[in-house]
Amino acid sequence: MTQRKRMDRREFVKTTTGATAAVALGPTILRRRQQKTLKILQWSHFVPAYDVWFDKYAKDWGTAKGIEVTVDHISLADLTTRANAEVAAQQGHDLFQFLSPPGAFEPQVLDMVDLVREAERQHGPLIDLCKRSTYNPVTRKWFGFSDNYVPDPGDYLKSVWTEIGMPDGPATWEDLVTAGPQIKAKHPEIQIPIGIGMSQELDSNMATRAMLWSFDGSIQDANENVVLKSDQALAALQFGARLFQAGMNPAVLSWNAASNNQALNARQTAYILNSISAYRTAQDNKLPVADDIFFVPALKGPRGTRWASEHVMGIYAIWKFALSPDAAKQFLLDLIAHYRDAVMASKLYNFPAYPGSLAEASVPLAQKPAAGTRWLEQATANDPFGSNPPNKLRPISTALQWATNIGHPGPANPAESEVFDTFVLPTMFANVVTGRMTAPQALDDAHQQVKRIFEKWRARGLVAGGAGDRA
Amino acid sequence: MKRVALYAAALGFIAFAGFPFYWMLLTAFKQNRDLYVGAFDTQHVPWIFNDPPTLEHLRLLFGQTDFLSWVWNTLVVVVAVVVITVAVAVPAGYSLARLSGRWGESLGMGIFFTYLIPPTLLFIPFARLVSLLGLQDSLGALILIYPTMTIPFCTWLVMGFLRSVPWEIEEQAMIDGYSRLAVILKVAPRLIVPGILTVVVFTFTLVMQEFVYALTFISSVDKMTVSLGVPIALVRGDVYHWGALMAAALVTSIPLAIVYNLFIDRFIQGFTMGAVKG
Amino acid sequence: MIARRSWADREDVLGAAMLAPALAYVLLLVGVPFVLAIALSFSNAAAGSLSFGWVGAQNYAAILADPIFLRSLRNTAIVTVGSQVLVVVLATAAAQVFRVAFRGKRFARFVLLLPWAVPVSLAAIAWTWIFDSTFSVVNWTLKTAGLLHGWLYWLGDPGLALVAIIIVQAWRIFPFATVIVLAGLSSIPQEVVEAAIVDGAGFWRRLFRIELPLLLPVVAVAVLFGVVYTATDLGVVYILTGGGPANTTQVLPTLAFQRGIQGSDLGQGAAIAVFLLPFLVVVAVAMLRLARHTEVGAK
Repeated sequence: MTQRKRMDRREFVKTTTGATAAVALGPTILRRRQQKTLKILQWSHFVPAYDVWFDKYAKDWGTAKGIEVTVDHISLADLTTRANAEVAAQQGHDLFQFLSPPGAFEPQVLDMVDLVREAERQHGPLIDLCKRSTYNPVTRKWFGFSDNYVPDPGDYLKSVWTEIGMPDGPATWEDLVTAGPQIKAKHPEIQIPIGIGMSQELDSNMATRAMLWSFDGSIQDANENVVLKSDQALAALQFGARLFQAGMNPAVLSWNAASNNQALNARQTAYILNSISAYRTAQDNKLPVADDIFFVPALKGPRGTRWASEHVMGIYAIWKFALSPDAAKQFLLDLIAHYRDAVMASKLYNFPAYPGSLAEASVPLAQKPAAGTRWLEQATANDPFGSNPPNKLRPISTALQWATNIGHPGPANPAESEVFDTFVLPTMFANVVTGRMTAPQALDDAHQQVKRIFEKWRARGLVAGGAGDRA
Repeated sequence: MKRVALYAAALGFIAFAGFPFYWMLLTAFKQNRDLYVGAFDTQHVPWIFNDPPTLEHLRLLFGQTDFLSWVWNTLVVVVAVVVITVAVAVPAGYSLARLSGRWGESLGMGIFFTYLIPPTLLFIPFARLVSLLGLQDSLGALILIYPTMTIPFCTWLVMGFLRSVPWEIEEQAMIDGYSRLAVILKVAPRLIVPGILTVVVFTFTLVMQEFVYALTFISSVDKMTVSLGVPIALVRGDVYHWGALMAAALVTSIPLAIVYNLFIDRFIQGFTMGAVKG
Repeated sequence: MIARRSWADREDVLGAAMLAPALAYVLLLVGVPFVLAIALSFSNAAAGSLSFGWVGAQNYAAILADPIFLRSLRNTAIVTVGSQVLVVVLATAAAQVFRVAFRGKRFARFVLLLPWAVPVSLAAIAWTWIFDSTFSVVNWTLKTAGLLHGWLYWLGDPGLALVAIIIVQAWRIFPFATVIVLAGLSSIPQEVVEAAIVDGAGFWRRLFRIELPLLLPVVAVAVLFGVVYTATDLGVVYILTGGGPANTTQVLPTLAFQRGIQGSDLGQGAAIAVFLLPFLVVVAVAMLRLARHTEVGAK
């Protein structure tokens, strides 16, 4: 029995081919000879087929390594609660997957630098969007390991937009304002011509950020100074109010993460900002609307800027109190090495954090990222999962040109995470469209809240900036 | 005329209480394309099946989730919590009502007030405690924590209940030569039965309802209780499996309502006597 | 005689022994965590670091200056009072109906008990679907019946959203209150009622002058119960509106949860949750007083 275990160890070290990795991981391996289990917690994936694949992959991986792997799934909205409980208990899972940057938990997680280096050595560079979501430049710590990001394109009903003379869907934010009344006139049964949420949930968080950035505003600058209060942000906010008037109704103020999908699939809205999961659900349920759903990249603002947030972003963290950190690290490296399977299992929902991991093994390292990107382009141009026409996913393959992290243009950090998790931006927009505040008031209100949050985290030494904060 | 008014009123109350359940029933068997139809469409009547009903959602609930284990776990937790609560709260209530004199009342009140501490406040300290005891991710955590909510309330309830039970029966037994302890062991239990029943129903309700602690302490899907497992497994972020969710709500509440219906009179007897005299 | 008095007859010993387990449970498992939680509210503890940094009353100062907190305090009061008023009215009325024998009463009582039996998390999800502005069956029915000319955005309009929350809270508590009131009715001495009838009192007079005053203690207990259930409840608001639109329906438990757990500011979350306590204690004392007082007076 002991003999076997030792064999596994040797095999384990062998699989981490690089000398760097062996040196980095060596000590931990020796210290934790007893380990036989690996516990993973992650969300219930929006594409259920991914969970089926992942659970089997994890089980098989464990069997091959002589490690008992368990995977627990909980819903996205409960992840933070669960993480809090595990930290308070100082006990829980070895691998914990967050869906947005877990900045606040930075002091509780292992630095992933060795793992990122090793993955980059095997597959080529990590994309910038993921780096900025997992690396804190202030503490120089990698507080997470990203395996994927998910693009957040616009989903629109082609038949409806064709009738109003825009068969390829909107290209700018202004197009939405133009289209709203026209759709209303042609299709009175469509309750919410433009379905962009402004409520306390994930999609609204992403959509309001996209609006802010495309109007050249942002919460923080590249150096983590709070710059929310700006003419650009004010313009974005006023635009939001106009858009609400033109094509939305108060339903969007109460949406949860499922509402825009339901509305689109019931043809109650003609445009939403969402990942492709809404479309995949329509396909799964064999709803005829599936054939009418098409995609557009992020919309352009008044000066041509276009940014969208990533829809979600898979970020694995290993707790400092994890019992099997080395197995967890190895699991992640192996997962990245199998990422083509993961992308397919998620029905092209997950996009790789390391594009090179999608390339054939034979491709030399330097060419891997390009080869991987090419593969992804081909896959999205010819969707193997029953799209009609098969190339309708093509627009999302350009996601890297317009997807960014929630701290844009700076890094993700605990303050940005708290702003995100307490829904400051959607609330700011909702305050204006409900007429509770004027745009300047709502902006100032949000700015002061954001500043308080940033100052709190700066006092803990986790966030930089401050000198350049606007008043 | 009076009869008509009576039936009309009864129907009104049934409609208010029961309408969501009718809606659950409908949703549990409706095809998705029958479900996702905007309310602007006056031609599409949402109150009936416009497409043939389907068993698809029930298959999802029973075939692809651990629903039956959740039911079992809930029962295990309920039974354990009931046993602990009865074993701890009933003697305490008796002691406060019969054995502790004047300070018993204030002490009973003090214990009752701990019931008012909101769960959101105790969440983090409890997480710590549960891990210290090594109970993370086990039903044991719930069995340990739920009595913190049931014991204060039930102690107070039993105390009040006993106050309304005449002392003469026990007194007579003592005159007959029973020791004080023998009275407690042999005579008192018979007197407290409705009170105990109330404790049981109350505990049942609480365990069925609780969500926050269950979410905190249980992470393995096969160890969840119904109130946690169902939303966790069937609300997949941006997809609500409405049919299966509604089916689960129905399947859990109907048997329970039948049981409550059977015991309601005795529950009420225990509850009103206990609470009003408390 | 005195010599034979063993410990089995000593009330103080027996009393202490029987009380000890409950007292120990409450002190260890509620008392200690409670003190910890209070300490938390005076600290800058965050999700990522559990070290207590004493910050005095800073968290309290911060939330008291925060309009969202004040709003949630107000909402907690509105939802609690609103739903309990509704509960009392509905329960008293329903009890009047259900005290009379009629055909199908058993089934009716079963339906009445359903809201009490369903787990609140699932019930709230069902109501979310019923109130979904886009798919609302309520709107469809009103519209088709010609009663609705505009459109009701149940959860999207701040006022209506509060109404929806109150409806759901009342819905899940009134069955329980009804059975309590029913029991209270059945315990009213028959002579009192008969005497009133002989005096020529009609239904309303009898209800308001005789029965309701006698029911007061029972109703007070039902209300106390309802208040605790409603004021500490996280699930209904969290699932129905998430506190939106624009934080206009936040109540204390949801705000504490959002700030403390989701937003990782444990200290502030604890401070917000602490505010529930005095509120509940005041209500509890008042209701218990009412229950006891009237009872004594009635005798």
